[in-house]
Amino acid sequence: MKLNKLSKALFASALTIVMGVSVIGCGKSPEEKPATTPGTTDVSQSGEKVEVDIFQFKVEISEALQKAADLYMSTHPNVTINLQTVGGGDDYGAALKAKFQSGQEPTIFNVGGPQDVADWIEKLEDLSDQNWVDRAGSTLGAVTSEGKVYGMPYGVEGYGLVYNKAIFEAAGIDASTIVDTASMDKAFAQLDAKIKAGELKEQFPLLEAVTEYPVKEKWVTGLHSSNIFINQEFKTGVDAYNAKEIAFEKSEDFKEYFDLMVKYSSHSDSPAKLNAVDYATQVGQGIAIERVAVTQQGNWVYGDVKNVDEQVAENLGFLPVGGDRIPLGVPMYWAINSTQPDAEKAAAKDFLNWLYTSDEGKNVVVNEFFFIPPFTGYENYPAQDALGKEIMRYQAEDKTTPWVFMGYPTAWGEDVLGINLQKYVAGEMTWEQVIDDAKAKWAEARQ
Amino acid sequence: MNKGSKKWFWIFTGPVLATFTLVVLIPIIMGIGYSFTSWNGISSQIDFVGLDNYKAVFKDKDFFNSFLFTAKFAIVSVISINLVGFLLALLVTSGLKGSHFLRGIFFIPNLIGGLILGFVWQFIFTKGFDAIGAALGIEWLRGWLSTETTGFWGLIILMTWQMAGYMMIIYVAGLQNIPDSVLEAAAIDGASKWDILRRITLPLVAPSFTVGLFLTLANSFKLYDQNLSLTGGGPGNSTQMVAMNIYKTAFTSSKFGLAQSKAVIFLVVLGIVAITQMYLSKKREVEM
Repeated sequence: MKLNKLSKALFASALTIVMGVSVIGCGKSPEEKPATTPGTTDVSQSGEKVEVDIFQFKVEISEALQKAADLYMSTHPNVTINLQTVGGGDDYGAALKAKFQSGQEPTIFNVGGPQDVADWIEKLEDLSDQNWVDRAGSTLGAVTSEGKVYGMPYGVEGYGLVYNKAIFEAAGIDASTIVDTASMDKAFAQLDAKIKAGELKEQFPLLEAVTEYPVKEKWVTGLHSSNIFINQEFKTGVDAYNAKEIAFEKSEDFKEYFDLMVKYSSHSDSPAKLNAVDYATQVGQGIAIERVAVTQQGNWVYGDVKNVDEQVAENLGFLPVGGDRIPLGVPMYWAINSTQPDAEKAAAKDFLNWLYTSDEGKNVVVNEFFFIPPFTGYENYPAQDALGKEIMRYQAEDKTTPWVFMGYPTAWGEDVLGINLQKYVAGEMTWEQVIDDAKAKWAEARQ
Repeated sequence: MNKGSKKWFWIFTGPVLATFTLVVLIPIIMGIGYSFTSWNGISSQIDFVGLDNYKAVFKDKDFFNSFLFTAKFAIVSVISINLVGFLLALLVTSGLKGSHFLRGIFFIPNLIGGLILGFVWQFIFTKGFDAIGAALGIEWLRGWLSTETTGFWGLIILMTWQMAGYMMIIYVAGLQNIPDSVLEAAAIDGASKWDILRRITLPLVAPSFTVGLFLTLANSFKLYDQNLSLTGGGPGNSTQMVAMNIYKTAFTSSKFGLAQSKAVIFLVVLGIVAITQMYLSKKREVEM
């Protein structure tokens, strides 16, 4: 058949052209950057010009990271670091794929856990020989495959119910009585009654509800909220990643918690409107201006709240969720693109090493990123901010649970569960349907 | 055709043809190729799976829903954009004072990027509308974009606001092409303003309608940026349009092959719709 032949020929020639283009793209003119001996991490002496492209996801630290990169470049004049930041969860994953397909492969990028490691394995540099590996405690499980370490933890983060201590104090509520969802219900009811009676009006004129729950942000509901209950079924992210099915044993507890968040929110009488509540409404126009007293978020909101009202930021603390604990985990890992020239990889490793193990770097990590360090050796760098201190308190009391959502099937947390929860608040799905669909889609993804 | 004009033909069309081949034709052909594979968008291993992806598309309820939503959106937005655009064109050609200034004003929204417009309108809908609703006690103004209906009308309002000015320019050109003598003759013959509009003006600007309908129809079907920034497809994927569904399948769910087969189906459907529209509108055009 003539047509068939023609289309085959066209497809073949198209492939050749595109492959040619991508080879050119990947190559990044290696003759300009001669490779140093493999294995050397110190490129500062070599004097050859090296360009390191960083493509990372954490919007909150992009400015501080740029400053850190400038600082590094001032002592390593031969290295140029180009930083690009694309925000949050799924969006970053999509942007990263697009970036790789466009041929502009970054030197340093982020992976989130076992699924990412499996997806990107062809591009991941083995980092097992790096000297931070033995200081990383138990954080490397999610990025270890066949005994090799492929990622460096960003930092440890925790989330729970961020609450305003001043409001609780004014309402005469003892936060330490909250140890499970039932006691939380009791405390919130008490606060709710006081808000509705206008008793706190004078002190907190904007206060209108106990909680704000951003159902629009599928990562908050589908990943973080669900994790509180799913981590009682799967103990680690790797367990979740290997699970063919999810039983959702704690789905009733999850419902109780979810309904509680909705019940005490500013849209309790028309929950569907929570579908329009986003991160900015919840944080910048919520907890930060004392419009609400409680919201489910993590220690990363400290900077955003501080930008609005420093006083409020200092008054923030964590209430435990789903028990007397808060979930702690590593949000993302740094990874190095193994297909880049050796000199570039060496510079990338050196930069990450510098950032997390040098004194200058440690200062940036703790005091400018507001990270809880993922490595030992930070004894002289205690957390400075209110939420970081709270996390260290929970850590010290050993009242923490793990993050397992990076072990969920690709896009399951946000695009299945998160979406279903939106339909649940809109009244289009019952809780059983939400859970049944989530179970089915999990099994389907793991076939 | 003499030798000289043939040379010029290739000098002018050659570069365009080459570019078109490189950035449109080849990707389409490659895309069709990928639609028969189970590629995840990352791995260098690409497995041929035959028609599996196409079978999966027809079982994908979310894709069907987003197609339905997109079609509904396209119908309503094509009507509203062209109607508003044509009315604006009538307004600014009616000899009104400051009509040149108004033309500029009406056209400006079109110069702002879709993403930014989406965020601006998101603010207007969720904060502006909400504040007005709260102050005046109008309940339906509150909680915009939190339901499918408000998300839908939000998109329509946004797109109409953005595209009407552009369509206005096309209709202004069409209206100015109508010779004054024809209009004057009709007026002298005693035709009312409405009759002139219906019997003379409308048939004579039909070619502009062909262009206007085609542009808005294609644009509405392929809409992505405004959809992303205004509603992000939410709540619960209910306002997710086809382009976003395809993008999410490819890049979020890592099913590149499946996404490609959706894209191929989308291309075919869009092609049929556009050709039908062109055929029908062309039939209505009249020669002077």
